[in-house]
Amino acid sequence: MMNIKRVISTIEKNYILSNLKKGERIDGRDIWQYRDWNVKSNMIASAEGSAEVSLGKTKVITGVKYDVGAPFPDLPNEGVCTFMAELLPLASPLFERGPPSEQAIELARVVDRGIRHADCVQTKKLCIKEKKAVYIIFVDIYVINYSGNLIDAGGISSLTALISSKIPEGKWENDEVVWTGKYLTGDTLVNELPIVSTYGKIGDIIFSDPSLPEELVCDGKISISVTEDKITSIQKSGFATFTIEEVEMLTKKSMEFGKKTRKDLNLWQYKL
Amino acid sequence: MPLIIKDEYPEKLFREDGKRLDGRDKNELRPIKMEVGVLENADGSAYLEWGNNKIYCAVYGPREVHPHHLAKPDRGILRVFYRMATFSVFERKRPAPGRREKEVSMVITDCLKPVLFLELYPGTSFEVFINVLDADGGTRCACVTVAALALADAGIPMRSLVTAVAIGKIDGELITDLSGIEDKAGEADLPCAMTWFNEELSLLQFDGKMDLDEFNESLGLAKEAISKIYEIQLNALKKKYIEIQEEYSGGEK
Repeated sequence: MMNIKRVISTIEKNYILSNLKKGERIDGRDIWQYRDWNVKSNMIASAEGSAEVSLGKTKVITGVKYDVGAPFPDLPNEGVCTFMAELLPLASPLFERGPPSEQAIELARVVDRGIRHADCVQTKKLCIKEKKAVYIIFVDIYVINYSGNLIDAGGISSLTALISSKIPEGKWENDEVVWTGKYLTGDTLVNELPIVSTYGKIGDIIFSDPSLPEELVCDGKISISVTEDKITSIQKSGFATFTIEEVEMLTKKSMEFGKKTRKDLNLWQYKL
Repeated sequence: MPLIIKDEYPEKLFREDGKRLDGRDKNELRPIKMEVGVLENADGSAYLEWGNNKIYCAVYGPREVHPHHLAKPDRGILRVFYRMATFSVFERKRPAPGRREKEVSMVITDCLKPVLFLELYPGTSFEVFINVLDADGGTRCACVTVAALALADAGIPMRSLVTAVAIGKIDGELITDLSGIEDKAGEADLPCAMTWFNEELSLLQFDGKMDLDEFNESLGLAKEAISKIYEIQLNALKKKYIEIQEEYSGGEK
């Protein structure tokens, strides 16, 4: 029974393609239209910060945890922020259990790079004592339901989880870390809001926010992370090739999408 | 280095007014919410909120066994994968499955097997994936309960549902449905599950100290609590079909 869902038939592929040629999508969206976002925060009591983000039927849950450890020798006064993603087998029969797959690592890495190079997480503020103790922030992304475009959902949920975080503030006293009684919140942790948008390509047709069937038949995808005025990371995946004009057009689209999404989702409302 | 705030437990687990720390009476369950059919890609699925526990469960099967050498020529196999999210506990859990997760997976597998007709599905596997996103004591009981629901939602023939609860002892008194703190700081923990077709125990573990009378009384308390949880389980299952019925009859019953 499940095997039907694993493969896309030639008929379905042709149907998707012929619709796209007419500027239509099989789910009724137009070429540049995103599915609906649904953002919830702080549902996980055990996590320092958390977010549940749905993009259409795609659903990811992200949690933030912290640890205190020694800084890297080359960055003695900076905290560390790491990203991990797990494609849970319950999200799709396409996901298998076991060590992280390439797809899971790509998801975590693309979200990580978008956020890292945007100067989003304020690692210098995550230092308790130079060379001795810094915060290590873990942002862990769990995919609960896979219905295409995990990167965009992962990006927004990571940002929301970081913004909604509440991490105990420590100070250095008598060679150890003690609690000041206060907390670091989202405005200390997060500065810029990088927004990642993903586009699929089939033949020479490009569209945004690929759904699962579109993702299964597309030749390739490109994910572009942008801040208010800068591009911070790009990931092209799949065997599709993009012309220079297409990439220029997509970076412009991403900037517009970033501005609109930052305004529409208003992620700062999730700060505690 | 230790975390900035330490995971400490109070000395007394009963408040001055005789209630438990979360305001419950001795034999009161935490609020329980169950829903089936929550994941569209799985053959069957269920979601459970039990106090602060938040658990998703998906079932695939009967399907081909992978790796192939695990297949049995005379029956199907049941495999349960219990996993905790890294952020579901006080101190971040490492992402790779640990010894505890493997043991709990095995215990849950053994608990669910009696209700399935595995002999009718030679050469196939049933896989149950349980992900605990937030944990606050009693997760193995919650997982058994939610897994039974997901199996039923997948339309897999079952002799009955399975329902579980933990009975514990804190400050010398028996209590129903241990919370995280009560589990860690309490004196005893008795998780047990009942298969309803024969009303027998199919999961039974015990840690701590109880005398014989207390132990026997605990089992009585467990049966009482399990009956209440079974009602919630049944209602969650029925709710899905009532909704489908209403959808197809245009709102008429």
